[in-house]
Amino acid sequence: MASRGERRRKSRDSNGSDMTRFYWVLGIVAVLGLGLVGYQVAAHRAGGAATQPVDLKGLDDPAALMRAAQGITKGSPDAPVTIIEFGDYECPACGEFTLQIQPQVEKAYVATGRAKLVFYDYPLVSIHAGSFIAARAARCANDQDRFWQFHSELYRKQNDWVAKANPISAFVGYAKSLGMDGGAFQHCLESDRHADVVTADMRLAQQLGLNSTPTIMVGLAKGMPRRLGEDFSFKAVKALVDQVLAEADSAKANGAKADTAAAGGR
Amino acid sequence: MAIAVMALVGLFIAFYLLAHALGWTGSLLCGLGDCERVQQSRYSSIGPVPVAAVGVAGYAVMLVTSVLGIQPGYRESRAVSWLLLIGGTVGFGFSLYLTYLEGAVIHAWCQWCVASAVLMTLIFLTSLPETRRLRRA
Repeated sequence: MASRGERRRKSRDSNGSDMTRFYWVLGIVAVLGLGLVGYQVAAHRAGGAATQPVDLKGLDDPAALMRAAQGITKGSPDAPVTIIEFGDYECPACGEFTLQIQPQVEKAYVATGRAKLVFYDYPLVSIHAGSFIAARAARCANDQDRFWQFHSELYRKQNDWVAKANPISAFVGYAKSLGMDGGAFQHCLESDRHADVVTADMRLAQQLGLNSTPTIMVGLAKGMPRRLGEDFSFKAVKALVDQVLAEADSAKANGAKADTAAAGGR
Repeated sequence: MAIAVMALVGLFIAFYLLAHALGWTGSLLCGLGDCERVQQSRYSSIGPVPVAAVGVAGYAVMLVTSVLGIQPGYRESRAVSWLLLIGGTVGFGFSLYLTYLEGAVIHAWCQWCVASAVLMTLIFLTSLPETRRLRRA
């Protein structure tokens, strides 16, 4: 029969080996857990979604910048007047313009073929952390011909996704709800696709000296467009568009007169 | 010991969900259910705090307490028993509430949340014998 001392020693030994086994199990779980979560984070950082402007060479040349920057157009390409917006998806005033004023502008001018809308991205990345990836998301939607629907959806749901540190899932949800291929959209978003165009748009806005969004400009095919002031009401937009249209009509009439005079002189 | 291992697994699950909420990872690995829908719902945070952060804190407390409870000086500690019991019960209750939200309100399941709820239930059941120890003491 074992003495009390031996039993205590055996129990201590068995407790000791249990503890060793326990710490081994804990260590293995810790290594596995750290490995799996660490891999997910590292994979995201290495090849994840571009959320900031990228380094583009050669854009100091204005002609190269004009080629690299690409607005998205709505309306007839032959429309005499172009209404340009430089916008940021986190900017509340841009949302108001898109959701409240733009439909009226479209009805009055775009549907009638008198003007076309062109949207350029101007994400104010220093104050809006998610605006660059939102701009890319809209471009990814454009790949599936849903730019304008997604553009409006981003503004409609602005309060929801702006609050998120990671809005990608929200964007994928919007894309699916608009009937897009969610997988293709997500693949586009979780890459650096369109980061170059969005960056070029930003650089163009900076070159033009723009410092706020939305910036609305109205112009003809040639010449420098005119900038709308701080009043983004439909009345203000209409006044400027009508003025530019009147100038276009007058230039056209003058051109016709000159042609007639030239023909009469021959 | 079992509580410590389960709490450590739960800690990693909660940390993975927190990393996703903070934008440190891409989309969640989700073979079963609709994790994104659950994570994007308004129930995924309590005010500015992601629910996953609450999970990280809860599992961390359970892990530290359970490891402390098997150290020689703390094996008979009433404080450790109370902490395990209270932590297990609160965690179980919170998991029940989150599972109810998934099934009845959000109508979507997140495999990681379900795994966490199962772990919390097991932790709760494993912590129940602490009541006997407290009564004995």
